[in-house]
Amino acid sequence: MELKRTPLFECCEKSGGRFVDFHGWYLPVQFEGIISEHLHVRSHAGIFDCSHMGEFLIHGQDKMAHFSYLTCGDFTSLPVGKCRYTALLNRDSSILDDCVGIKLNEETLFVITNAGPLEQVSSLLCDSSVQAEDITQQLVKIDIQGPKSLDVLLDSNFNPQIKGLKYWTGGTFEYKGEKIIITRAGYTGELGYELYLPISIGPDIWDKLLSHPEVKPCGLGARDTLRTEMGYPLNGQDILPGSTPLMASMDRFIDWEHDFVGKDLLLQQKDRGDYRILTGIKTNTRQAPRRNQKLMFQDHEIGEVTSGTYGPSVGVGVGLAMLDKRVANPGTVLQVAERSLQIEVSSIPIYQNGTARKKVS
Amino acid sequence: MYPEDVRYTENHEWIGEEDGLYVVGISEYAQEQLGDVTYVELPEIGRHVRQKEPVAQVESVKAAEDIYAPVTGVIVEVNEALEGEPELINLDPYGRGWCFKMDDIDTAQYRRLMNREAYEKYLKSL
Repeated sequence: MELKRTPLFECCEKSGGRFVDFHGWYLPVQFEGIISEHLHVRSHAGIFDCSHMGEFLIHGQDKMAHFSYLTCGDFTSLPVGKCRYTALLNRDSSILDDCVGIKLNEETLFVITNAGPLEQVSSLLCDSSVQAEDITQQLVKIDIQGPKSLDVLLDSNFNPQIKGLKYWTGGTFEYKGEKIIITRAGYTGELGYELYLPISIGPDIWDKLLSHPEVKPCGLGARDTLRTEMGYPLNGQDILPGSTPLMASMDRFIDWEHDFVGKDLLLQQKDRGDYRILTGIKTNTRQAPRRNQKLMFQDHEIGEVTSGTYGPSVGVGVGLAMLDKRVANPGTVLQVAERSLQIEVSSIPIYQNGTARKKVS
Repeated sequence: MYPEDVRYTENHEWIGEEDGLYVVGISEYAQEQLGDVTYVELPEIGRHVRQKEPVAQVESVKAAEDIYAPVTGVIVEVNEALEGEPELINLDPYGRGWCFKMDDIDTAQYRRLMNREAYEKYLKSL
């Protein structure tokens, strides 16, 4: 199958991107280098082409209620301008995809999903009573992340009102006569914004942002190391088929007050308490945990690494693992099977100095 | 050590003679493919290894790859500088980024490895 290209492909190619296949998309894994991009996002600002992600509009409060039934969160109670992280569930209460919804106005919910299960998600949301509008093909998504990202946007003629955006909020703004959606969110732990732009202006905005001296283009590689240091899970890798929101450590995103698909099964699982949960891990050297490594505690296999990498901002190996609940406590020391590598269960975020929640106005 | 003076394996190790010992590292192509090297696990000194046996591991942010013994022989020295500065492999793969030194090697195996010209041809075929 031919790999799909985003509307920013030429921009990324021009910037020296090295491309890989990511869920059927031809996307840059790196430009200058993963570590330098990673560190640049932590200290300045980086831009990411995230146009492969899915976007949907849900119109009307009854449709939002239908949508809420498909997720572990309740979007009917979400205030206008607020984002909420949630999971779309299968009938057996396992996660189909994790996603973010933001209420643009009383009647419109904007939902952002991942590239992996997009086809399934699209048919679930559009061909059901939710009657969502799939606008994935109409948008370019640029994430700008890093402590300087607000300064960069203001220098680049974005509406000064974005200064008022608090962490995990957003809205519709005008940019040169075009309507764009901006959320103050991201996947790196740094102050940052996600820009949803009409395709017609996407490449120009990419170039404009890139011409700013504080900005570097960044690829999937840095996105992965940044999110792993924060302990953010990746659907399809950390959230495996069959994982429920409880197993994905999404307890605080489960609204037990509302009715949702698979709720009974999820409640049963909660009562049994016999499941593995997603947990942060770290090493005490530069050596990284690696995906699929089995983890041992007192000679018993108690889990498996789902993500692992060197964490450039913490200087040690970092990752995520599915662990038996009884050992999933920060500080517990585990052993990688058949290797001399020691692993410690870590609280999340593993990297503690992110600027995501910084007051900016 | 210059890339002209060394021999190459299909797994992108290089090996070259220096003061009677044989120095081993990974090629420019290998470091480029790996990206930023973050950790190197070096072999034990004194270990007898057979050709194509995994003896060390290089980790980058992207992957962990084995380094194989390019020839049969004994590990006599390792580059301890890589413990603190694994990025030397990226910066200077044929110089300060060397991995280990071997002695008592099978010189017939060494002679059969690719020279630079053959290796460049091999890279083009990948």
